[in-house]
Amino acid sequence: MIELKNIEKYYATKGVKHYVLRHVSTSIKQGEFVSIMGPSGAGKSTLLNILGMLEEPTYGSYEFMGEDVTTLNERKRIELYRNHIGFVFQAYHLIDEMTVYENIEAPLLYKKIGGSERKSRIADLLDRFNIVAKKDLFPNQLSGGQQQLVGIARALAAQPSIILADEPTGNLQSAQAEEIMNLFQKLNKEEGITIIQVTHSEKNAQYGNRILHIADGVIKEDLVV
Amino acid sequence: MFKLNLKIALRNLWKNKGFSLINIGGLAIGLASCMILLLYIAYEWSYDKQYTNADKTYVVYQNAPANGKIFSWAWTPNIMANEIAVKIPGVKYASHASYTSSKLISVGNNKISSRLNFADPNFIKIFDYKFIKGNPDQVLKDVNTIILTKSLSEKLFGNEDPINKTIKLENQEVLKVEAVIEDVPVNSSITFECLAPWSLFIKREPWAREPNWGNNMCLTVVQLKDNKFLAEANADMKGIYKRNQQGNTAEALLFPLTKWHLYDDFQNGKSVGGKIEQLKIFLLLAFCILLIACVNFMNLSTARSERRSKEVGIRKAIGSSRKSLIGQFLLESVFITLISTIIAFILVEVSLPYFNNLLNIGLQIDYKSISFWGTLLMLMIFTGFMAGSYPALYLSSFEPIKVLKGLKIKSDASVSIRKVLVVVQFVFAACLIVCTSVIYQQLRYVKNKPIGYNKSNLVQIAVQGKMGNNSKLDLLKTQMINSGAVTGVTFFSKDITESGNNTTDVHWQGKPAGESILFNNRGIGSDFIKTIGTELVAGRELSTITKKDSNSIMLNEAAVKMMNLKNPIGAKIGYWGVEKTNIGVVKDFVVESAYQKVAPMIFYPSYMDDVQVIIARLNPNQNISSSLETIDNLVRQIEPDYPVNRKFVDEAFEGKFQNEKLLGTLSNWFGGFAIFISCLGLLGLALFMAEQRKKEISIRKVLGASTANILTLLNKDFIKLVAIANVIAFPLAYIIINRWLSAFEYRISISALPFIIAISLSVLIAILTVSIQSVKVAKANPVDALKYE
Repeated sequence: MIELKNIEKYYATKGVKHYVLRHVSTSIKQGEFVSIMGPSGAGKSTLLNILGMLEEPTYGSYEFMGEDVTTLNERKRIELYRNHIGFVFQAYHLIDEMTVYENIEAPLLYKKIGGSERKSRIADLLDRFNIVAKKDLFPNQLSGGQQQLVGIARALAAQPSIILADEPTGNLQSAQAEEIMNLFQKLNKEEGITIIQVTHSEKNAQYGNRILHIADGVIKEDLVV
Repeated sequence: MFKLNLKIALRNLWKNKGFSLINIGGLAIGLASCMILLLYIAYEWSYDKQYTNADKTYVVYQNAPANGKIFSWAWTPNIMANEIAVKIPGVKYASHASYTSSKLISVGNNKISSRLNFADPNFIKIFDYKFIKGNPDQVLKDVNTIILTKSLSEKLFGNEDPINKTIKLENQEVLKVEAVIEDVPVNSSITFECLAPWSLFIKREPWAREPNWGNNMCLTVVQLKDNKFLAEANADMKGIYKRNQQGNTAEALLFPLTKWHLYDDFQNGKSVGGKIEQLKIFLLLAFCILLIACVNFMNLSTARSERRSKEVGIRKAIGSSRKSLIGQFLLESVFITLISTIIAFILVEVSLPYFNNLLNIGLQIDYKSISFWGTLLMLMIFTGFMAGSYPALYLSSFEPIKVLKGLKIKSDASVSIRKVLVVVQFVFAACLIVCTSVIYQQLRYVKNKPIGYNKSNLVQIAVQGKMGNNSKLDLLKTQMINSGAVTGVTFFSKDITESGNNTTDVHWQGKPAGESILFNNRGIGSDFIKTIGTELVAGRELSTITKKDSNSIMLNEAAVKMMNLKNPIGAKIGYWGVEKTNIGVVKDFVVESAYQKVAPMIFYPSYMDDVQVIIARLNPNQNISSSLETIDNLVRQIEPDYPVNRKFVDEAFEGKFQNEKLLGTLSNWFGGFAIFISCLGLLGLALFMAEQRKKEISIRKVLGASTANILTLLNKDFIKLVAIANVIAFPLAYIIINRWLSAFEYRISISALPFIIAISLSVLIAILTVSIQSVKVAKANPVDALKYE
C-alpha cells in the first residue's frame, strides 16, 4: 500500500543542511498496524507528515496505492484525503465552532455524500463510540478522551483505508489512552483499516503488529510484534 | 455545506460580539453614507431626464462677447424659436417660454402666489408632461387659458374638477382652466405650478410682440428629429444673430437639456463644468467611505486569522479544497454585508429627513424602482467581495501542517499589510480634516469679507400689484418711517442679493472703439446710501424727490475704474441713448457673487423704471417682531390682494453660499463618518494587538514595567502609523484644496492651521481609541496571562 524509497528531508539554513530524515525506505502493506517510535526530534512526526502528504520530502519517491504522490497536484491530493486517509491528532483538532455532530459530518460534506447516507453513517459512529448523548455539544464541553473519540469518529466517517495518528494519546490520561488504543486495535483487526501511529509509549506500541524505531532521521530497527 | 457554513458564520459572529459589532457597525455606517451620497448624486444626475425625448432636446444658449470675455446664457430673442423652426435643418419642434415668475392666482377669495410660466403649444410637445385632465393637443392655443399642476389645482379648487372653471391672474385677467397635469418633477430645471399661453404673455407685455433680435428676453428650447442633425444644426445656429441683425456680435448654440443643470458653467463660450464637479467629489467621497469600511473589515478579519487558522488547517486535512474555503469566507463576508445593509437601510431612512432639511431637497428611497434594487444588489455584492476578498485569499492560503503543528503563523507579512490598511484609512481621514477646515475657513472669510453695505437688520419687501405705482411707494415710505418701525426706506430696481439687469449700451469719452463692456444698471430711490449703509466716495446722491436728476447718474468705484475717469464727477456718459452726467461715486458693494470682484454699476433714479423691491432698515430701538408686523400691516393696507413677500437681506445673502455650505456640511458629516469608521478599525486592531501581546506585556510587568511604560509601548506603534498617514495626506490634501480654491477670485491663502488641526486631531483620536483597550491590558494582572502557557 505504501512504498517509500530513499526518502530524505532536510531544512537548509544559511547553506547548512539540517537533516530530519535520511535514506528512509520501507513498505507498509494493507491491514498493518505500524507504530513509529523514537526519541524527541528523531523525525517521527516528519515521517508521518510525509506519509500524510502534509509535507513534501526533499528527495526520494513515495508511492501511495501504486501512485507516485510526490508529484501529485493539489486536487488529486484532496481526493486522497477525502477517500483514503483519515487523520487523528494529538491535540484532537476539532473545529471549535462546530458541534460533535457537525465535526463528524464535515468530511462527508466534502465527499459530497447524500443526506440520508450521511445521517445513517454519523448515527452509526455516534452509537459505536457511545457519544450519542453528546452530539449537540461543542468540543470545549467535552473531556480530552471524549474529544479524541470524536476525532477518531471524524477520521473514520469517510471510511478511509488508512488512519494516520500523531501521538493520539499524548494528551490523555492512561485509562482514556487505553480505551483509544483498544479501539485502534479493534478497527485494525475487525475492519482491516491500516493504522500508522507515532508514539512515545512502549506500551501503546505493543497494540500494533509492527514497530519502526527511528533515531536521528534513520530507521534503526523494524520489529514485528 | 452551505447551510453548515452559514451556521458557523452565525456562531462566529455571536461568539465574538465585540468584533462583530465593530465590523457590522462600521460597514453599516459606511454603506449608509455611501447610499445617501449615491441617492443625492442620482437625484442631481437625473435632472431633466424624465422627458421621453430629453436626449434630443436642446436649450439655445447665446455667447455674447463683452469686457473682453464671453458671457453665455440661455436668454434668447422672442423671434428665435420661429426662425429655428423654419430655417435650421433637422428641427422637430422649437418653442419659446418665459422664465418662471411668481404671480398672484386667485379663485374667489382664495389667493395664492404661485409660480407661472408662459409658453407656446410646442412647449408641451417637447416636454411631455403627464396630463391628468384635458387634451394636450388643444392647450395653450386660446389666449385666456391656463394649465394647472395637480397640487396647485388642489390648493385652488380642493377636490372639485377644475376644468372649464376660471381663475384670476394678478386680479386682471380671467383665465379658463384647460387642463391639469402632474406636478413638474422637482429635479427639473424648468419648474412651474401653472402654465399659460405665450399669447397671454404678449397681451400683458405688448413690447414683447415686436420681433427684436437685440432683446434677449425668453428661453428657447429645441427638439431635433434625430441627434445626427446636431452638428449641422449647431453650425447653422452659430451665425443666426449676425444673419438677422447687423452688427450683432452674439453667437447661438444648442446646449443639451440633460447637461443644463450639471454643466452650466461657461467659459469662453464653452461649457467647462458646473455642479458636476461637486458631484464628482461626492461620488469619490461615497466610494472612499465604502472603501474605508471595507478596509476595516479586511483588517479585522485578518487580525483574527490566528483564531481561524486552526479551522482552515483541519478543513484542509479532512478534504476541503482551497476553493471551497475561499467560498466559505466570501460567504461570511457577504452575509455580514447583508446584515450591515439592513442596518444601513434603517440608518438611511432615519437620517434622510434630516439631510433633506439640510440640503433643502426631497431625497427619498424609491422602493419600486428596479434600478434602485439593482444598484443596491451590486453595491452589496461589491462590498461583500471587496471586503472579503483579501481575508478569504489570505486565510485559505494557510498550510495545514504549520497550523496543526501549532507553529505560530508568520504574521510579519499580514501585520505590514494591516498597517498599510490603517495608514490608508488615516490618509483619507486626514485629507478630509484638512479639506473640511479649509472649506470652512474660506466660507468664513468670504462671509466676513465686507460686502460694501450693512446687511444686518435690513429687510427687503417685494413690490407687487398696486404698490408699483410711484405715488403709492412714496406714501408707503412715509408711513413706514412715521410708524417708527424703520429708520430708513429706499427703493431698488432689483433684488439686492441677486444679479439682474445689465447693458453694454454705455459710452464715454475715451472708450476703446469696438469693445463692448458690460455694466450692471439699477434704479435707486432716495436715501439709498444711508438706508443700506454704504458710502458715497465722491459727489452727491441722486435725488428722486423732484425730477431734476432725470439726466443724472451715479457710478460705483468699479465703473469709474473701468472707464478710467480722472474726474468722475461731471463726466458725460452716454447711456440709454441719452447723454447723462455722473454726479456721484458709490463705494463698491456686492450684488452678485461674493467670490468675484464687484462689477461696474450705473445707478439711475428709480422712477425711470419699475421698482421691484423696497429696502428698509429696522429701527434698532424697537422690538423686531413688532416692527415687522407694523411693516406688514402698512404694506397690506396699500395692496391687500397679495400676501406680503418680505425677507431679511442677510438671510437672502446667505443663499449665495449655498453650494459651498452644502459642500462644507456634507464633507463635515461624511468626513466625520469616515474618521469614525477608521477609529472602529483602529480599535479592533488595538483589541487584537493587545490580546496577542498579552504574554509579552505580562512578562514585562513581572520584570518591573509600570502601567505608563506599557501604555507608551502599546500606543507608540499606532501613533507612528497615524503620523505616517498624515505625512502622506498633507501633499495630497494641499493639491486638492489648492485646486478647489483656485476657482475663487477672493480666497484665503492656505495656512498651516488646517494641517495642524489634522495631525493633532487624528493623533488625539488614535490615542483615545487605542487607549480604551491598552489601559485595560496594561492594568491587567500578569498572572492571568502567564498561567495559560
